[in-house]
Amino acid sequence: MLRKTVDLITSLKLTIACLSAAMALIFAGTLAQVHLGIHEAQQRYFQSFFVWWPRESRGFKMPIFPGGHLIGAVLLINLIAAHARRFRWAWKKLGIHLTHAGLIIMLAGGLFTDLFAVESHMRLTNGETKNYSEDTRLDELAVIDTSNPEFDQVTAIPESVLRHKRIIEHPSLPFQIVVKHLFPNARLQMADEAVGGAPPLANRGVGAQVIVQSLPRATGTDEQNIVTAAIEIVPVDLATGATQESLGTWLVSDALGAPQTFSWMNRTWQLTMRPARYYKPYSVTLQKFTHERYAGTEIPKNFASQIALIDPERSTNRDVLIYMNHPLRYRGETFYQAGFQKDDSASILQVVHNPSFIAPYVACVIVAAGLLVQFGYHLVGFARKRTAAT
Amino acid sequence: MGALGSRTAKVFLFAFAVLLGACNRSADEIKVYRLAKPSGEPAPMEKDAIASTNAPVRSTIERVPSANSNVATPPNWEPQPLSEMRQASFLVHGENGATADISFVRLGPAAGNVLDNVNRWLDQLGQPPVTPNKLSSMVQKVPTPLGEVNIVDLSGKPENGDASKDGRIVAAIASDGTNTSFYKMRGNAGVVGAEKENFIKWVVAMRSSSGEQTVAQSAPLTSDKPQIKWDIPFGWSPAPASAMRYASFSAEGKIDISVVTFPGDGGDDLGNVNRWRQQIGLAPTDESHNNIASLRASDATFSTIDITGANARTIAAWTRKDGRAWFFKITGSSSAVEKEKPNFVKFVQSVRF
Repeated sequence: MLRKTVDLITSLKLTIACLSAAMALIFAGTLAQVHLGIHEAQQRYFQSFFVWWPRESRGFKMPIFPGGHLIGAVLLINLIAAHARRFRWAWKKLGIHLTHAGLIIMLAGGLFTDLFAVESHMRLTNGETKNYSEDTRLDELAVIDTSNPEFDQVTAIPESVLRHKRIIEHPSLPFQIVVKHLFPNARLQMADEAVGGAPPLANRGVGAQVIVQSLPRATGTDEQNIVTAAIEIVPVDLATGATQESLGTWLVSDALGAPQTFSWMNRTWQLTMRPARYYKPYSVTLQKFTHERYAGTEIPKNFASQIALIDPERSTNRDVLIYMNHPLRYRGETFYQAGFQKDDSASILQVVHNPSFIAPYVACVIVAAGLLVQFGYHLVGFARKRTAAT
Repeated sequence: MGALGSRTAKVFLFAFAVLLGACNRSADEIKVYRLAKPSGEPAPMEKDAIASTNAPVRSTIERVPSANSNVATPPNWEPQPLSEMRQASFLVHGENGATADISFVRLGPAAGNVLDNVNRWLDQLGQPPVTPNKLSSMVQKVPTPLGEVNIVDLSGKPENGDASKDGRIVAAIASDGTNTSFYKMRGNAGVVGAEKENFIKWVVAMRSSSGEQTVAQSAPLTSDKPQIKWDIPFGWSPAPASAMRYASFSAEGKIDISVVTFPGDGGDDLGNVNRWRQQIGLAPTDESHNNIASLRASDATFSTIDITGANARTIAAWTRKDGRAWFFKITGSSSAVEKEKPNFVKFVQSVRF
């Protein structure tokens, strides 16, 4: 049994099967981008262990094909196991070993990047300070307890949780959040301007004056989904756990600006749907954004952000210039100059946290060294034979 | 083969364990964290204050919508009751019962697609949607102190519409990446046409630093914050509000005056005073009680304290009324605060709950 398992995980057939599955997955994922958009297709097909069916369901779902993570992981294990099984140390095979080691690091680095890398953006107007970046592709419902004069307590509920759970309970909240409606993309319209149509979904807050029109998920790279939900707040008796009378239903949406407020048990809460935030123990202030163009044209020559980086924990207070190909690396995060607002009033920095960013560099160096050794060994051998023959 | 198989199996198990560990992603987890409230120190001092006192960073993205604006409007614009959605609302009367409704609504950044909004308005006027190419010829770009606004002038006759109240929309959309502002005048075609010039002037005035971003004399319109009144001293300008501030003012461009309110008692006095001391670089003390004085106002008695640090001075006044704590604070350089102290005292004394 063990031998059969070892044979299986070290077999070339498994490698071929994985590569075939990867080709099929890439084909299907590419087609799916038409309807799902690039980000959603990547998530469902490549950054998952399985492709699930049906796509949108809070109930039964079944895996219908291995996802990118599973195929990549099996390939990685197959490569490691096959190498371990057939490994015979010899100096003349040093090049082969190095090349394989480089490939393993590259595959593992790719998998870890997919699993752990976080990409977000920090948009700053001149003079603005922020200590968080935002993920414009992921939303969260932030429930903020503002009662304490010293701090706000934020309970951030990812959109994926709203999508999969109808009733959300958490120890930090003395109430249940019942997701009555969730729209991955929607258009809001003032109720007094709408002609016919459904009534407002909410009966509290600004949502009581707003009508929601469901839209298909945005698929273009320059389009943005307006995630919208109608949520009911149902208090829970902390002693018995029993639910009490509902406080009402609120509409939360990306398209609504300021948070909405309600009170319960002498505490004040705010509700807001917003891009997922990643807070940092340091702050970034945009001091000056410059955008140079080639003379007489609108073609960008250079754009750069002069920022002040302030980190109280590390007593850091320094100015940094971020521009194309010159990112700022700080505390495991890399800030790239990613874009700017059309009228140059704001700079957009891409913030990347990738613990395994070094893996591809290391892998390339090792593979190059391995190939050099391997070809060098054969070249020397060939040259010796030729010399001996003559 | 046995030893070899065993070694391969160990490698496989190790790789599998690493993989399982890697699978433990937290993307779908509910996160709970605490954020220090935005402090009241003035913006120019913020950088130094953070480095020296570990003060929290001010968030600039969440702003309580302003309830009103101090931008002047034509005399024939009749103010209408505000709602949580509408932050300014007017009605203009024409002849024979004709009217036009004017509104200002500020929404999030995702609401700013001009084409979608124009097509929605066209739909309201019973008109077919337009393409992006056609839209570009319809949009008039008007420069304002806060950037360009897109203005459209749309006409049509909605089904079953009342011509005395409908038939034309002049609207302006401005997006700054953080918020999207909608200014809209909809009503009788003649009234809208007659008021178009005034409307554009109003939009430009609102898009100034003292326009839509200011909190005027009355309080922000949130569902659970009571409204209080006060008299603003001459020379004070409304400043952009934050999520935590009930109102903000600035004087001489370098003095920061804040009004903050919390439900409950707002914490004990000693703790609050020590927090303010830390904000201006002073060490906490247990003897602050001795320096707290009373200030009598028409509606309440305030506790006050005057503290001076190396580079800044803070005078704070606070009171507790109807289950809420109210904090009024002025911060700036010592000499500037000294100059504004009489105005600050008058301001606190003018507060009417």
